[in-house]
Amino acid sequence: MLNEILVALAAVATLQNFLIMTAGIWGGVIVGAIPGMTGTMAVTLALPFTFYMAPVPSILLLVALYKGSTYGGSVSAILIKTPGTASAACTALDGYPLAQQGKGGKALNMALYSSVIGDFLSNISLIFFAAPLALLALHIGPPEFFMLMLFALTTVAGVSGNSLLLGMVSAALGLLLATVGEDLYGSFRFAFVPDMQAGLSIAPVLIGLFALPELIKLVVMRAAKTDEAAPLGAQHVTRDEFMGSLRSILKGSVIGSILGAIPGIGPSSAAFFSYGEAQRSSKNSANFGKGELEGIAASESANNGACGATMIPLLALGVPGDVITGVMLGAFMIQGLTPGPLLFQTNMHEIYMLFIGMLVSSVLLFFAGKVTMRMFTKVALIPQTLLTPLVLLLCIFGIYSIASSTFDVAVLLVMGLVGFGMFLLNIPAAPFLIAFILGPMIEENLRRALAISRGDPAVLLSSPITWVFAVLIIFVLGLTVRREFLKSKERRVQQ
Amino acid sequence: MTMPVLRGLLVVAFFALFAFYLVPVFVPRPAFIPGFAPPPDMWPKTVSLIGIVLGLLALILAIRGGAPAEEAVETDGSSVKRMTLRFAGLVFAFGLFLVALPYVGFLIATILLTLCMVLMTGERNYRIWIVLLSVGGPISLLLFFNSALGTQFPKGELIKILGF
Repeated sequence: MLNEILVALAAVATLQNFLIMTAGIWGGVIVGAIPGMTGTMAVTLALPFTFYMAPVPSILLLVALYKGSTYGGSVSAILIKTPGTASAACTALDGYPLAQQGKGGKALNMALYSSVIGDFLSNISLIFFAAPLALLALHIGPPEFFMLMLFALTTVAGVSGNSLLLGMVSAALGLLLATVGEDLYGSFRFAFVPDMQAGLSIAPVLIGLFALPELIKLVVMRAAKTDEAAPLGAQHVTRDEFMGSLRSILKGSVIGSILGAIPGIGPSSAAFFSYGEAQRSSKNSANFGKGELEGIAASESANNGACGATMIPLLALGVPGDVITGVMLGAFMIQGLTPGPLLFQTNMHEIYMLFIGMLVSSVLLFFAGKVTMRMFTKVALIPQTLLTPLVLLLCIFGIYSIASSTFDVAVLLVMGLVGFGMFLLNIPAAPFLIAFILGPMIEENLRRALAISRGDPAVLLSSPITWVFAVLIIFVLGLTVRREFLKSKERRVQQ
Repeated sequence: MTMPVLRGLLVVAFFALFAFYLVPVFVPRPAFIPGFAPPPDMWPKTVSLIGIVLGLLALILAIRGGAPAEEAVETDGSSVKRMTLRFAGLVFAFGLFLVALPYVGFLIATILLTLCMVLMTGERNYRIWIVLLSVGGPISLLLFFNSALGTQFPKGELIKILGF
């Protein structure tokens, strides 16, 4: 094993990989720092470039972008009170008041230290838990996989947006779109034009769905943000300030690692949970929301702490926990690798390389954050009216370059309109994408399970594992319905 | 008609279109299916029927007033008619881009689309940046993808006729 790790270390330690990870981290930090640009956008925009790279560097690039953008989201949250990413919303609560007090640099530094520690601990959890989980997953068959994917889909539908029902509608739309193209027995389903016979590619669908609606919103609604950035001011975080926040950083990292590993939860929920916990247990709880460094530490350690952990279900089970890992699943497939238990048997070398690369990227995040801190005030002010058309341009060129297909460009634009329509109808997009990616696997496992059982649907509840997932699905559904019921009751009382 | 009711109706109509028209017409069954394997239309039909049930539930909730709270949409204060016109303009621009692409080529089509998009966002202040983005952006990207990745972009029939 040690020999394999050393071989993987030698394979990762090349100038090319180092440059790729550095570019990914830097790019992610910059994109995350720009309001309106999200980590999902950064990862999806980079996807076309990964087609021309070897499997491990391509995944490392996407992981680096993910980590960088999650930290970068805190920059605009602190300096202009506009979280670059949803997971940085809590950071704005204390970061902006600190920036107004002339301590913007201090807040950014605390966000950076917490992010790096959270990220590193999260990677450690990935290394220790992914392989045992994959080993366990080797013993499960099509019915169990079907129920597992159904569970992942239910969780994502439950936590995305503010309605379980709309989340499920979104997932159903994604599942339906995934059926386009040739099926197991050679039937062409919904092939309205010859280009649709091969099915819809993942890249134009997901890039269109997540990158273009921002541009369409800007054109139709014209609600661009024009905030003033606060100056950086005092920068140094003292030893006492750091030690005072260390408990929250470690707690936030653990919360992020646990919640990140559960499909559907992701960095945003982890940050909110960790912030709440820090506020509850801190001796400075009265100062939370007014400019408390511990609040930033709790939020940032948890959101970056979830980054590595979201890779646990992806690598071990082949189930993406959120949109970004959904994109990564697409990247794995494009590279001819299928995440899941077999990956740990057939591609152990690549797995070790990935683990080592992820640990290195945590260190790179620290340096990228430090070096780019001065330019943050400028980055956060790039006008959206110029930025979003640039995103469209990158999308069109990137998508065309993948397969030299004008049809894919058309799919990209149509999916942008679909994404905008879903936004207007308040239907969340995340379950749609996860369902679109998991759809073929869900269908294949269901059909295989039914074929094995001679058409008996009872096979889906034939083993203890399927029962466990069935109970979990009912639990998640019950919990979500209860939450929505309470919210609706609260709304009626307010009215 | 309120937004939740409209949403429920649209969801039901969309999935019903699939379940009762598109699946029977556009999902052909092969002549032979081995063993007890389910036919190709089983899964899309199941999903469509589930979608109809979900849509009906959304509709019932909307009528009974239990639909989730609608999030406020940030706008520049324009009327719905004006925003609809902007949306129609955007769809027209996308459509024109796709139609014109084989004739004028990838470069000119993307230059025009980018310029059109920047102007449609209402931006008029950064004139030099607008020109740089609209013209310089597509040229730089074309050169990058062409030289670094070897992508061949369509030149366009009209451009070829003109001798370029």
